[in-house]
Amino acid sequence: MLPSEHTKKTEQGASLFDRLTETALRRFAGRTSRRGVVARLGGLAAAVPLFPLLPVSRASAATPAASAGKGVAKAATPFGAKAQAKDPNACDYWRYCAIDGNLCTSCGGGVHSCPPGTAPSPTSWIGSCYNPQDGNSYMIAYRDCCGQDSCNEVTCLGTDGDQPSYRPMANNDIIWCFGTGTSEMYNCSTAAVIGKAS
Amino acid sequence: MSVLCPRKFWVGLLLGSAAFFSSVAPVLAAEPVLQTEQSDVVTLKPYSPHTVLVEDAVYTHNKDGRVNVVDADKGVLLGMVQAAYNPNVVLAPDASRFYVGETTWERGNRGARNDLLAEYDALTLKLMVDEKLPSRALVTPKRNNLAISADGARVYVYQMSPANAVEVVDTKDHKVTHTVEVPGCALAYAWGNAGFSSLCGDGSLSNVSLEADGKASVTHTAPFFEPDKDGIFEQSPSVAKDGSTYFISYSGKVYPTILSANSTVQPAWSLQVGAGLKPASDASAPFEVTWRPGGWQMSALHKATHELYVLMHRGTFWTHKDAGTEVWVYNTETHQRIRRMPLKVASTMVGITQDEAPLMFTTDEEGNFFISDARTGKLLRTMKVLGTSLIFTVAPGEG
Repeated sequence: MLPSEHTKKTEQGASLFDRLTETALRRFAGRTSRRGVVARLGGLAAAVPLFPLLPVSRASAATPAASAGKGVAKAATPFGAKAQAKDPNACDYWRYCAIDGNLCTSCGGGVHSCPPGTAPSPTSWIGSCYNPQDGNSYMIAYRDCCGQDSCNEVTCLGTDGDQPSYRPMANNDIIWCFGTGTSEMYNCSTAAVIGKAS
Repeated sequence: MSVLCPRKFWVGLLLGSAAFFSSVAPVLAAEPVLQTEQSDVVTLKPYSPHTVLVEDAVYTHNKDGRVNVVDADKGVLLGMVQAAYNPNVVLAPDASRFYVGETTWERGNRGARNDLLAEYDALTLKLMVDEKLPSRALVTPKRNNLAISADGARVYVYQMSPANAVEVVDTKDHKVTHTVEVPGCALAYAWGNAGFSSLCGDGSLSNVSLEADGKASVTHTAPFFEPDKDGIFEQSPSVAKDGSTYFISYSGKVYPTILSANSTVQPAWSLQVGAGLKPASDASAPFEVTWRPGGWQMSALHKATHELYVLMHRGTFWTHKDAGTEVWVYNTETHQRIRRMPLKVASTMVGITQDEAPLMFTTDEEGNFFISDARTGKLLRTMKVLGTSLIFTVAPGEG
């Protein structure tokens, strides 16, 4: 898309999204002091080195047998009970419990990375998936990668917790390419861990 | 061939040819002499109850979707029109026109976006009006992202940009007369000539009555289902003429509903109980394996006989998009299963014609189109690889 078209597009198509973002940021700014932001950023900087210690990073070191011996929680859903944690190019990979579409891992991207030539959607639908390796459930943000037509290498349909489009944040049929700066054309889907499910 | 004596060769060839043609001349004389021909374009006959529209979303390259016009009696393709990027289609009540909701970008995958409502003459497949819309929802197409009023005077376009709204298009003036916000709700189920309802995230219905001058009044029903535990299929069948709708839940509850400005929802009955089984579990006990409804266009209604066709499969809860291995048919008045028809190939789609000898349509992952006798389930004919991703049918007289 040419820059001139980009401007035009942004004004027309994504204006509502822009307004929503602006409103949210203004509210945030209105409620937050500058010192508070600095303090939070400082806290974040201090916390970053601790991220590798979180369970998500230790998962690769654990084994299902070891976890099973410790009496971890059982999968709460049928997908989780059969999921695996080794091959992110397969549809039964644990993070894909509510994915619908093409795996970005098979399209030149990664589990949380878009392929080159595409752009990630700022918004996403959310799933809660069980990791058989550490026995925990995590919140997963499924973001679409946008701007090129369908990639089609590995196409999956996970429906754990998938609700109809009148519950949009839990619906995997919607093209989530709002406000990407590209066209809303869907290429593939990523599955980023955004936290532990309670 | 004698290369050295070309003249002799040609004389011989001519004589030989003359002898050959003289011997077969009486046979050829019986054949009419072919006339010169003019190139022309076919016009279709008025639609029979078995002339159906078949939407192909072409998931592998979405911008190339299409709507096929099929003669289901013969199993032949009569024509097709382009229908780009998660398109949708509705047929006018008199089957004279159909409307395709589609989205294009001016330079293929980039450039200015155009959301369009294209009106086609159903017999010539000529584009009559190419109307630009403010927006439309980009979502894997469900029939009720687009709807048409009982008299065909209005088309309803569900919009998610990302706020939820429904655009109302006047099909005579070709203008968007209303854009009705339906916050927290989605889809459009048309009722009567000037109203629609949307399903909402709190388990209620939003009912919109259209008035003149771009005004609309909105009412809400009380919540009647729990989306977290047991959502209602968006593809539940409805009839615009009288507002009769059968909202089917993931677990198999059927909520008979009359849509109107004050929609009424009757107590639910169970697909499983109607088939002699115990009711199926919802999300609170997801591991229970039993017969459940599922697929994409997972249900169809035969209005005159009050028969509800539902794709069924055996599975746990959260298998609501699994293909159906059987079609179960219910009488919506007795709530009993009256037929059980196993499919040779599991299908995510079921469609029905509305006549006295109805046909049933199913598909498979290869894009084959199966045409069966809806009264017996007997496969009558197969259109091999009619498309890529056949997701629903539209037959005359459904609304």
